[in-house]
Order: sequence, then C-alpha cells, then structure tokens
Amino acid sequence: MPSWIEQAAHRGILTSRYPRERGSDAEVPPTGRAPVPSASAGPTGAAIAGCPVGAIGPEGVEPGRCIRCARCLAHGYRFGGPVEASFRAPPGRAGPEGADVGDEPAPLAPLGRSLHLFLVDVGSCNACNLEVLALANPFYDVSRLGLFFTNSPRHADVLLVVGVPTDAMVEPARRAYDAMPFPKAVVAVGVCPCSGGAFRGNPGLRPSLGDILPVDRFVPGCPPTPVQILDAVLRVAGRARREE
Amino acid sequence: MLLPEPSEVLPEELAGLWRGQFGGPAPRPLAPRETVEGYGTFTFPYGPISMGVPESGRFDVVTYGERILELAPLGGYKQRSVLAALAGTPVEDAALRIERIAGNFSAAHVAAFLAAAESARGLRVPVVELWTRALAQELQRIYNHIHVLARIAEAASQNVGQAQTHALAEEILRLQARAFGHRWLFGALLPGGPARNLDRAGRHALSEAVRTPAREFDDLWELYLDSRVFVDRIQGTCPVPREVAVRWGAVGPTLRACGVPWDDRLRVPEAPYNDLFVALAREHDGDALARLLVRVQEVRASFLLIEQMLDRWPADVSLSEAPSPPVRPGRGVGRVEGPSGDLVYDVSVAHDRIVSVAARTPSQANWPVFAFGMRGAVFTDFHFAFESFGLVFAETDR
Repeated sequence: MPSWIEQAAHRGILTSRYPRERGSDAEVPPTGRAPVPSASAGPTGAAIAGCPVGAIGPEGVEPGRCIRCARCLAHGYRFGGPVEASFRAPPGRAGPEGADVGDEPAPLAPLGRSLHLFLVDVGSCNACNLEVLALANPFYDVSRLGLFFTNSPRHADVLLVVGVPTDAMVEPARRAYDAMPFPKAVVAVGVCPCSGGAFRGNPGLRPSLGDILPVDRFVPGCPPTPVQILDAVLRVAGRARREE
Repeated sequence: MLLPEPSEVLPEELAGLWRGQFGGPAPRPLAPRETVEGYGTFTFPYGPISMGVPESGRFDVVTYGERILELAPLGGYKQRSVLAALAGTPVEDAALRIERIAGNFSAAHVAAFLAAAESARGLRVPVVELWTRALAQELQRIYNHIHVLARIAEAASQNVGQAQTHALAEEILRLQARAFGHRWLFGALLPGGPARNLDRAGRHALSEAVRTPAREFDDLWELYLDSRVFVDRIQGTCPVPREVAVRWGAVGPTLRACGVPWDDRLRVPEAPYNDLFVALAREHDGDALARLLVRVQEVRASFLLIEQMLDRWPADVSLSEAPSPPVRPGRGVGRVEGPSGDLVYDVSVAHDRIVSVAARTPSQANWPVFAFGMRGAVFTDFHFAFESFGLVFAETDR
C-alpha cells in the first residue's frame, strides 16, 4: 500500500528556483506581464480607444491600470513587460520599464531573514487571495525563504492587501495595520489596490489603497503571479533577486 | 439575559466596535436569522478580517461558549457594485467585469453571462466556442474541487496531503495558463482575449498533460480515504437534511450530497454536453464528507469529460448554433452548472449595450443552508463546514 511519503517522493522536487533564477514561463505566463508596444510604433488611437480600462494613453501603457485583457494585442502590443515589476509609488504613466529596480529603500531590512505575512482582503474577486495563499504550496514554498503566514496582524511584518478598497473595509484595514508592530510594510497585491482595476469608478470604492494606508510596494497584474508577489515581499526586505 | 447589552455598559462607539461595526455601510445578512437567547449566550463576531477565511466577510456566532447555537453570515464588506455599474457598457466590456466578480469561478460566470447576452441579442454561437467554454469550465471545476479538498485537509492538519493537494491545484492553474493564456481564465472566453493554445497540436498536448494530474488525484484520494482521522473528522460534520436543502434552494454539490439528482448540465443537454457522457455525482448523507465525495466524483467526471471533448473536438469551425430563445426581445437568461452549483444570469440588452444584469449565484443559494447546518456544531467544525460548501463572499458582494 503506498504511503504519503512514497507519494511525495514519487513526485520529486516541485519547488521553483526563484529567486535564485528568473521566474520561468510556466510560473509567469504571458498575461502575467504588462503589455508593451511590439515595434517602434507609439500608441495608436485605436489602441487607446480599444483599452476598456484606459490603461493606454498617449505616453504609453500604465501597468497599474492594465487588467491584462489582451485587447491591445490586436493593435501591435505584446505581453513583454518585465517579470518582476512592482512599484514604490501608486503607478502613474511610468511606462512598462518604470519599475524602480535597485536602490529603493527596504523598510524591513533590519528584520533579517524571517518575515511573517498577513493577508487582508479589502474587496477582491478571490483570485488574488488564492494567488497569495498559493505562495505556501510546494511549487513556491516560501517557508524555504523564511516567510510564514500568520493568523494575526499582531504577529505580522508584512500586510498583503488584495482588492479594491471598499468603504466598509477602510476602517478594518486601518485597524489591522495599526495592530502590527514596527517595523512594518504594506504590499498592495493586484491591479485593484493600485487603481481600482476593472471596477474603477464604481460607487462605494476608493480609487487606490495609497489613500488609506502607507503602501511600500504596488504589484500590478490581474492577478499577479505568486512569483511576482514573492518578489515584492523580498524587495521590502532588501532581499530581491539581483540580475547577474 | 444574564449579560448586559454592550450599549448598557459601554459608550455607543465602543459598543459598536464590540459588535464588530466599523462604520461604512451596514453589513448585510446572507441567511435568515432566528433570535436565539438563553442563559449565558452572547454574540461573537468573527471577521471581517481573518486568515481562517481568506476573504472579507463576517460571521456572527451566537454561542454560550462551546456550541454554536446560531451562525449568521454577514456580507457587504466587499460590495463592489459590479452589476449595478454595468448599465450602458458594451456587452464585451461588461463581460470583463463579470468574470472578475469571483475569480475562481470566472469561466462559469462568463459562460452564463455570454449565454444570456447571446439569447437576448439573438446571436448564433459558433459550436467551437461552446466547446471551448465547456472545456474551460470543466478545468475550473477540477481546480475548485481540488482546492476545497486541499483546504479541508489543511484544516484537518493533513500536512503532507494538503501540500500535495495544493500542488495539484497549482498544476491545474498552470494547465489553464497553457491552454487559455491566463491562470484564472480571465478574458480567455471573450473575443480578443489572450491567445489560446487549442489547435490540433495544443489539444493533443493538453490531453497528454491532463493525464498526470488525473492519476495523481486518484492516488491522493486513496491516501485520504486510508486516513481514519481525516474521514472521521468530516463525517457527520455540518449535516444538511434533504428537506432543508430542497426547501431553501441549495444548489450544486451541496444539493447533490443530500441525494437530489440535479445537475444543470443534465437538465437540458446543450452543446457540447448533449454529445458527451456526463456522470451524475450523488451522495445521501448531506454532511461535509458527502459533499467532499460528490466533489471527488465530479473531479473524475470532469477529467473524463475533458478527455471526451479533446477526443471529439468539432472539426468544422463554421458550424454555429442558435441561442436559447429570449425571455422577451432584448432579454435573455443563461444558466450553467458552476463549480459550487447552478448559476443563472438574466441580461437585458439594447443596441449591444447592457440595460440591466441580474444574477443568482451558487454562494447566494447556499449561504442559508450553511448557516442552518452550523446550528449545534462546535467551533472547530467551522472550517471543515465552510470549506465543504465552496462559498465565496465575492459572489454575493457583487
């Protein structure tokens, strides 16, 4: 009779080589990346008009508003943005390369190598929640990096916030933040806390999580892949993957 | 009442906090309530933020300390007003918002919405498109059922099992990304979505690729059944009598676990299900174990359906089918069997723009049954019961 141990051994090692190596295509499918114009062609009127969330403007693509619906692929765009693309500020029209890589402050660097994560949903569709929880599965296995999920904000160092902030969740989210000990960091996961995503402008919603909490990293994507969430968490700890 | 009301001993603001009210719109009850009173009873608010339930929603637990006398699920914390804000948007743009109502049920939502919109507009649908929608839905059903199994194993501290099962769920997400270009199938069923990989070579690769998770799932389930601790824990947990399920309109695995043979794919067989063998999953005990057994049978049935679909994929891409007749001109109803149950969309369209959209989601139908089943349970039953229903707050807070 087979046992759990045999079953696990039979499947072998599943764990990602991230952050030692770049996120693979299996980990970050094309829709995990921001669209970029494929040729030198700037944004055409058709591409701007065809974007259902207004993420394409005359200056380029704003990743913090893109919901990866792929409509712009018909207008000469392709999903070719960087794999690790998170932002310090609420994303403006920074362009696909606007992710500030390298010298950004790492608020949790003093904590050394172990961090505890707490998930707060302020109005998501559940996809981002599941992508955050997927960090614990054997494919990503964040405990190998000293990251753990905790059940109380009082034990948490990083608040992972998913969803577009609704009026009803403003106060609970603030309380969760206040309950955390210093030093602490907030990572906004998904396009919804960046800009409202697909629901931008609906009644009862706040335009950005930055209006409610001091956010350290915004991770765009609808939803971002676990590797990208992991990258943002490591970045606030000063442990991001460096390009050799 | 032995204990004083919080408003009698606390200033109003603190009394509100004690009840778990934080300002903003008032939370909305998701199930009918009976007022339970008695010696030493009090209300314990659980949520809206907790890691046990990774969504924002609240449960008011009426208890005297050990048993749950009454459980009142409260929604509205993540009310995003999606359906209300759709009026006036083009149908294709509306579909992008519909699939983001509940990300893990996106294929079912968008398929029901598109069916309703096509019926309202009287558009003929390419047969290949119907098959693609069904394929996406079956993949997503497998993902959701495996996810439920993993969450229940997690609650039961089956550490190796939950890790292996979560890994299997991740494998299904990657399969979805490979076939449809998106891990959660967003945009995948709409015109102009991410590139699909479902040509002959892609279908062949997919049918090869689903064999491994199908076999792994069978192996895992056998190991779970060998674990007496696991089976004992969920057997008899949160039972829902058949009369209650029928009277309160439960749907999906919850209803089928009570012995009611109802599956929307078999109600009026439409393409492609009229061409395929759909096995009806059914159990009789109505408890968490029965619901899990139904899900396990459905995972196997869905793997079989995928195999059949990829084997008999329509060769003629020019074929199309008439939509179901509209309720009245410009208004159509679409209905599919989602992972957690029967999902209905009612869409009114004028000049290719949305006039109004209404929906009845499986979570909406199952919340009252869940609340009923929790009466008399103990606190530690909560997670087994909650996960076994496959409830999503995002589906009611739309």
